[in-house]
Order: sequence, then C-alpha cells, then structure tokens
Amino acid sequence: MKINIGIISYAHPHALRYGSTFASNPKAKLYAISGDGANSDVAKREAQRLKAKFYKNYEELLRDKKIDAVYVAIETYRHKEVALRVIEEGKHLLLEKPIALTLEDANEIIKAAKKAGVKLMIPFNPRFTIPLRKAKNMIESGEIGGLEYVYAISEYVKPPIFLEGLDMTWFLDVRKSGGGGFMDTAPHGIDSLLWLTESDVKRVYADIGSKIYGFPVDDIGTAILEFKNGVTAILNAGWGNPRGYSYGLEIKYYILGKDGFLDIRTAYPDFTVYQDRAEKIYWERPDVEGIVKSFLESIIEDKEPPITGEDAKKNLEIVLAAYESSRTGKVVKL
Amino acid sequence: MPERKLKMGIVGCGNIFNLAHKSALKNLETIKVMAFMDIKEKKAKEAAKEFNAKYFTNLDEFLELDLDVVEILTPTYTHAEIAIKALKAGKHVIVEKPISLRSEEAEKMIKVAEKEGLWLLVGHTRRFDKRWMQIKEIIKKRNILPMQIRKAEVQRLPFPETAWYWKPHKGGGVAIDLGVHVTDFLRWFFESEPIRVLGIGKAIRKEARVNNTYDHFVMMIQFEGGKTGIAEVSWAYSYPARYGVFYHHLDILGKNGRIRYTPMDTPVVGVVKSHFEMPRFSPMLSTFPDAFERELRHFINVILGKEEPVITAKDALIALQIAEKAIESAHKEEPVDLKGVIV
Repeated sequence: MKINIGIISYAHPHALRYGSTFASNPKAKLYAISGDGANSDVAKREAQRLKAKFYKNYEELLRDKKIDAVYVAIETYRHKEVALRVIEEGKHLLLEKPIALTLEDANEIIKAAKKAGVKLMIPFNPRFTIPLRKAKNMIESGEIGGLEYVYAISEYVKPPIFLEGLDMTWFLDVRKSGGGGFMDTAPHGIDSLLWLTESDVKRVYADIGSKIYGFPVDDIGTAILEFKNGVTAILNAGWGNPRGYSYGLEIKYYILGKDGFLDIRTAYPDFTVYQDRAEKIYWERPDVEGIVKSFLESIIEDKEPPITGEDAKKNLEIVLAAYESSRTGKVVKL
Repeated sequence: MPERKLKMGIVGCGNIFNLAHKSALKNLETIKVMAFMDIKEKKAKEAAKEFNAKYFTNLDEFLELDLDVVEILTPTYTHAEIAIKALKAGKHVIVEKPISLRSEEAEKMIKVAEKEGLWLLVGHTRRFDKRWMQIKEIIKKRNILPMQIRKAEVQRLPFPETAWYWKPHKGGGVAIDLGVHVTDFLRWFFESEPIRVLGIGKAIRKEARVNNTYDHFVMMIQFEGGKTGIAEVSWAYSYPARYGVFYHHLDILGKNGRIRYTPMDTPVVGVVKSHFEMPRFSPMLSTFPDAFERELRHFINVILGKEEPVITAKDALIALQIAEKAIESAHKEEPVDLKGVIV
C-alpha cells in the first residue's frame, strides 16, 4: 500500500525538495499539489514534472478522498487555517516549520490533531544528518564525557530572496513569516540542541537584528541557551551567507564534553565546483529523506513521529523567547 | 653616529619570557638588555647568562639600575605593583597583558604613567599577529563593515592546578587571561564601543573546580551600531597537553562580505618532545612568535618617539573592564550595561 501525498503550496521553497523526495519514495505516491499562496506557477510546473494532479487551491485538494497525508508549505501566517482544515479532513499532516506564528495557534493545531487521531510532524533537519547522528551516538556512549558546551551554526543560508525563479518576498513581511532569518533557520538548530542535550532550555539571551542586508526583518541572530542539565549552547542562525559563499546551507557544530571535543565542520557530504566562484554541491541530503521516511513510517506503523507538535511548540517558545530577549536586552527565563 | 640603544630590564623570566619574548628581544637591534629580575634566582640567572646581562632577585635593587625601559612578564597579580614602582623609578614600562588583575589597579598605573610622563604599553599581541592584521586590512580594502564577529580562543591549559593561572586572585581565570585578548580584538575590529555584556562561565576541569574559577567562558558583547561580538575562551578543550596549542576561530559577518578563519585552513609544522614546547610553525599558535617581535619593535619605536601606539594603556584597561563586567554578569545571571560604566 502506498500513502497518497498532497502538497499544499510552494510558498516555502522546501516544497521543491519534499516534492521530489515524496515522489521518489517507494512507500508514497505524490498524488496532488495545490497552488495556494506564493509560487503557484512553480507548484503547477512541479505537478506536471512529478506527474501529480494540480489543484488551484487547498480546499479542492482536501476534497480529494484519495489523499491520505499532506505536506503544508504555505506562508507561516496561514499554517493554522490550513492545518486545521487538513486535520478536519482526517489527513495526516507534515507541517513546515515554524509550526505557527504564536503558541496559542500551535496549541490549537496540536489539540485538533490529537482529537482527530491524525499524525502531526514538523520537519527539523539537522538531527537527521549523518554527522549529527554519529555525534549523538558518541555522546550517548560516553566517548566525550558529560556534555558541557555546544557552539552551533545551525543554520546559515543565503537570504531566500537570492533564490532565482521564486517569489520569496513574504519572508520579508513579519506579519506573514513571524520574523526574518532567525525565525527561518533557528528552529532547526534549536531542535538539534534539544535533541542532543535531552534537556530543556532554562534561560535565553539573544541578539537578533537586521544587520547585514538592510531588510525590514532581521537577517541574523545569535542566542545563548542555558539548559536545565547545565549545558550552555551558542546558536547562530539566519541569512548569514553572502551571495558568493560556497555553501548554500551551512551547518556546523563544535561539541565540548568533559573529556573530548567533537568538531562537525559540515553536516552534509559535498564536492566542489570551480567556475567564476567555488560552489559546494551536496551529493546527499539524508535529512529530507529521513524526515519523509519517518513521517511515512509513523502513518504506516501507527506510531508517534520523531518530532511532534509538542516538540515544535517547545521550539517556537524558545524562538519567541530569543526575540523577546533581543528586544528587551534581558535574559528570558522559561 | 649610531643611534643610542635603549637600556632594557626584564622582570619575570618564566613561561612567557622563555616561550615568546626571549627570541624577540634577541632580534631587536635598538635595545640592549641590561638586566633580569626574578624571585627565582635560577630563572633570572639562566636568562642573564643568555643575554650576558646582570641578574637580580630583588626588585628595588634592580630598579636602581640606569634603565630606559622595564618589561614586566610576571604573573598578572603582580603587574600593578611592579609597573608603578618602575614608573616611579623613572622607567618606561612594557607589561604583558592583562594590564593588571583588577581595573582599579590599571587606572592607578595609567595615572602614575601620566604623572611621570612615561610610556605604559601593554602587550596585546593579537594586534601584532599577521593573520589578524591582514584580515583587518582586507576589511578596509574591500569595504566590509563587520556586524557580527565570533572569536574563539580555546586550548587545554598545560599547567597544573597549583599554577597561578588557575588562581582567581592571581590570574583571574580564563575569563580575564584569555578574555582580554578577545574583548580587545572585538573593539579593534568593530571600531566602536561596547554597550552591554552577558557572560556565562563554566568550571569543566578539576583544576578549575578546585580553584573556584572558570575554565570555559562565553561572552556576548553588544557594541554601538547594532554590532555583536561573541567571545569564547577556554582552557578546557581536550587537546593533548603536550601540544599546548590553541584553536582560533574567527567568523566575521558584515555588510558586504564574510571572512572566516579556522586553524584547519593552514599547514602545521609541529614538534613533540618529552617536555612542553611550542610548535615551530602552527596556525594553532595563540600568536605567531614574530608577533611578539613586531610588538616589541613597535613599543620601542613608540618610546623613541618614532611611532604612535596602535594600542594604548586605556585600550588595555577597557579590555579588562569588559572582561570584569562579563564575570559580574555571569555571577548575576543577567546582562550588565557597559555604557557610562567603562572608560
């Protein structure tokens, strides 16, 4: 049996990768795509390329009884509206991060999914990368002693508006995105830190701002996170990479334990192409494959997905605390 | 007529003298090292022998000599007292960083130097390291405006728990000892003043715990103009002690560009011996040996009136104040305002 997948919107460019990954997964059939929000032309083109049905809007897609599960990549401010409808139709939901703009909205989504008995998963990438999984194993087996400190760039990307052929302007509208570069990428790093430390954040201090590009939203941010188990982490995230940076996506971790130190210089295997400038190409993205695989497994085997709505809500709480700290200049306690 | 050579005396013939200053002093043609002082006679004697100079174990006797410059290479907690005595004895002073253990002492040192009309110069060697000098130059040339800088200086401190480095009342711990390097570096690169600092300290190694000091310290320092510095200093990284080396990371995100430096980008010529020795060439060196020579050459030229100091005693004082406030922040568990608090 194959799970029939619908994708709602290509507003978030991640939809491009998820579309291809669902389409090539043996346990899934990419059944339909809807063109809500930004990049509806891209959604239509991808539907043709991936041999999926195309619906103009998500209500049409949700009426299609064949669809079992939906990946939603619509603008963040529409997450709640769309998620609640997906859940109402009894379809499982893979919902782009951040889960919603507010904790209240996140709660509504979580409650609705629980009540309807559908799976709800939020995709955060770093914990699905091979070097981080390896690091986690090494930490668990005691190879570097007790965990003390993590410095993470997780992650830096180029500003989305540099992406060619896509309309990314909604990323620069705080009412639609909830924030700029930090909101866009910090949830990934925060998820990985929660997962690595197996603890909760106690205190947050952050500095987030429109520092590099002069956008109306923040581009980069740094947060110092103190965990209940004593681990201190520094997280850098945002649109930190200039146009000419050789990595499109940068993930780095330095992990210090009592007896050892792990140096994760990049999370993905790459090769380099040299033309006018050097460019790193990732020849494997096990993170997206891992997310898709575990989402499908949670449906097929009827088990809890590895990243739940609650995890995503906790994540959002930390992101919002970081913004608050940056705004007030104070440490925010959770 | 050949130029007069400055008569120089050295106080403190320990680690930093042997590892860094000795060879630099030998290469300077504008000075003559006249004498050495160390409370450990053996150390003073050894140093004096190499330079064909006198040696002393008593500071007052040493200061009676006719010297132009005294260089102070002693543990941090002794800097102020020795510097003030030397200045009052009419000698220019070059002192290793940190300028002193506490900023009140540094303020006093500066006042005495001003009153005596003598130079007080502080060895912030990072300012003379080719790597950072070139990066600073590139920033200017390519019109990059640094907005966020992360500078990490981490190592495994190769000294036992009894060493003064580990004693909060002698060396101030890693937050002061390495901290001042990074706080000064950030001011140097941002060319603006700090307004707020948050510090978080950890005691990871036993040596730190038994001495009630931090061996791992991070600071987030916000500067005027929305600039942010992230300083990370550590003695707790697990490198084999015999290498005694540093691990520098520098990541500058700016308007119009980004610059990264990691030690992995550069080749290494290491040396492993039965006793501790610096690598001969390694990007993991905290500072390249020639930086010490460049620094001393510059300081001598300042004293000779040929150059303006690239780093003043006041800069060194501010570097210390930021680190002190960061420690205060770590104790209070909240950020500390710097505006109007530091000079």
